[in-house]
Amino acid sequence: MTDPASPPLRLRALTVRYGERTALYDVDLEVPRGQFLALAGPNGSGKTTLLRAALGFLVPAAGTVELFGSDVLRLSVVERARRVAWVPQEESPRDDVPLADYVLYGRYAHLSWLQGEAPADREEAMRALAAVGLADRSGDGILSVSGGERQRAILARALVQESPLLLLDEPTSHLDIGHQLDLLTRVRELSRERGVTVVAALHDLNLAAKFSDRIVVLSRGRRVADGSPSEVLSEELLARVWGVVADLRRDPRTGAPYLLPHHLVPPASPVPGTFLGRGPVHVIGGGGAGSPYLRALAEAGYRVTAGALNLLDSDLETAESLGALTAVEVPFAPLGPEVRERLRALLTAAAAIVVAPFPVGPSNLPNLEEVRGVLGRTRLLLVRRPVGPEWDFTGGRATELLDELRRHGAREVGGVEELLEFLAGELGVNAAAPSA
Amino acid sequence: MAGPPRGPVAPGRFSVRRRWTLALLTALLAVGVLFSPLLGTVAIAPETVLRILLHQLSSGRLFSDPCAGAPVPPSGCPGLIEIVWDARLSEVVLAVTVGAGLGLSGGTLQGVFRNPLADPFLLGLSSGGTLGTAVVVVFRVGVGEQNLLLPLFAFVGAIATGLVILVAARSRFGSVETLLLTGVALSSFLSAVLALLLVFSPTGSLQVDFWLLGNLGALDWSEDGIVFGVVLVAGTLLVAYGRELSLLQLGSDVAQSLGVDARKVRVRLLLLTSVTTAAAVAFTGVIGFVGLVSPHVVRRIAGNDYRVVLPGAALVGAGFLLAARDLALVAFPGTLLPIGIFTSFVGAPFFAYLLFRRRRASTMGAP
Repeated sequence: MTDPASPPLRLRALTVRYGERTALYDVDLEVPRGQFLALAGPNGSGKTTLLRAALGFLVPAAGTVELFGSDVLRLSVVERARRVAWVPQEESPRDDVPLADYVLYGRYAHLSWLQGEAPADREEAMRALAAVGLADRSGDGILSVSGGERQRAILARALVQESPLLLLDEPTSHLDIGHQLDLLTRVRELSRERGVTVVAALHDLNLAAKFSDRIVVLSRGRRVADGSPSEVLSEELLARVWGVVADLRRDPRTGAPYLLPHHLVPPASPVPGTFLGRGPVHVIGGGGAGSPYLRALAEAGYRVTAGALNLLDSDLETAESLGALTAVEVPFAPLGPEVRERLRALLTAAAAIVVAPFPVGPSNLPNLEEVRGVLGRTRLLLVRRPVGPEWDFTGGRATELLDELRRHGAREVGGVEELLEFLAGELGVNAAAPSA
Repeated sequence: MAGPPRGPVAPGRFSVRRRWTLALLTALLAVGVLFSPLLGTVAIAPETVLRILLHQLSSGRLFSDPCAGAPVPPSGCPGLIEIVWDARLSEVVLAVTVGAGLGLSGGTLQGVFRNPLADPFLLGLSSGGTLGTAVVVVFRVGVGEQNLLLPLFAFVGAIATGLVILVAARSRFGSVETLLLTGVALSSFLSAVLALLLVFSPTGSLQVDFWLLGNLGALDWSEDGIVFGVVLVAGTLLVAYGRELSLLQLGSDVAQSLGVDARKVRVRLLLLTSVTTAAAVAFTGVIGFVGLVSPHVVRRIAGNDYRVVLPGAALVGAGFLLAARDLALVAFPGTLLPIGIFTSFVGAPFFAYLLFRRRRASTMGAP
């Protein structure tokens, strides 16, 4: 039935659109067996869409969803139910039925048409109710129990479904803090005990950090961070993705990271997306030095352009994957007049130019010369170069040029975060935008 | 994956399937069927009626002269037998069959649309079916073949209505509101077409009028047989989808995540309901509120498991229509009042009650 070597869930370049709006853009994700993965991200970032696509509720615009190696859309509805169980954010049952019956519904995928539930199925249902602490409530109606009890009953129903993959969509959003901890503790125990793979969309980053093995952060339909809680959670991430200023602390007992949110990023430095429409940010890079800046800018919502780059440069690959306009030259050749003209057009159109710490040789030196040409007409940001490695292969000509740019008002920034902060602050609502 | 932890578990308080409810309803209906032939427009002594029934049921082996001692009409004992067996009992069987079909249709539609006010009339299925039969009568299609043509045209009308609802709502089939509103619009449109048909065909209007209020009389066993056969087959299939219908009450997405192909099941149930409704309206016309009331009565007694609600609604619907027929004969002896009048007298206040209660419930009918 299921290929044991295949991961429970694999998304390949998944793009989902609702009409004009793209809810998920080119998301790749592989969830290995037994992992507890938390999906985080602001409202509308695509968490629910990702889960719904995984359940086969949505037909992607591009890309595929695989459950244990099979395309979800090629599986029958029953076969899907045997592979993946779902705990929705909330459920509004219309009819009052006993919790025991409600949980028993989870056996449906294992029964053939007209086949009644066997005593064994009822036993399973009661075990599941016991596992969520509701054994003595089996006769209560689903409409008469509290929200937390209903959510636990739904979890019990997902358990008797016996699917090796469990998807939870904000399962705790209607629960108080005690029930939140209770429900997620139960899910994690079940995941550990039975090897169930769990993907849970969780609003609360601290809960995500506490319970999950891995956090994937979505923002505007893209995967912007992915790793263990300690790798992923950062003050910078919270500012960039949620627009929230927070302190990162560590739980003194467990060492687990947690965030202490303070306030929204103040309006004086608005969320970078407000800068959209004032022209793109041009990144001059090469040898891969421009890629982090291109990605960070695109994730923050800026349109980006890049170049001039040679055809084999990894920065070009990055730029193209982000849909950026570029100026391109063949490898090892000095920039030709046509390429220089295109570069000039891109630089003129840009609201800001970022010079990444790229190695400068004779063939790409003209990049800096062209930047000098637009000096004073646009914001210019030079990324500080790390001390040590040799980067100037032009006999000092590049160093001279950079010094000249600095003297004429180019600003130096230390890295990605500082760059984004500067752009948000200087070119945001308050600052007079340079003419594009 | 490994199952839940082993070990003894407490027996759960599952809802009993409440078979006793169905058994009780069946017994009540059987009594009703047995005693309803005692009532009729012509006065016949009860013992004579029972003798005739037993005589007929035993193919003449019991009571060789069932009319012994009773006043016999000019046509003799066969004439009396004809009244009891061919007129009264066939009417009783028709009432039971049509009532069961309408109860089942109503129960199914309420489940499919997750709306306690859904009913074959709400969706225009009945109007579609009646329009089909009106076409046969008004345009005098195949005079002499009407036994077959009436149900056939009713099927065409009802199923066409069902298909239009499906196609119109296909793009957004998940939305229950879309479907219901489509049905309401369609129902109004079909009624308008029916009215137009009547305006231009004054000759046929009398009969069509009669259908609009519903009647059980003036039919014989062959018509009974057609209705009975269709309702039995389509109804059995409907009842077989009870569990799927119960799961659909959790919402399409949840049902689908549990393994129910919500779209497929809905389409099938809607088509089966169209067929059942068409059979019910083909000879008797529009009999209102049976489909609306019956499922609610069952829910009250036996809970919300559609595996009980659907057969229960069939039994209650049958009993409801039979009671209406008997009441009409007792209250207005000697007159042939359209039976739809009586079901509406009970159904309309019940409808108002549901509306009133619905206003207090918050999420009823939400998808």
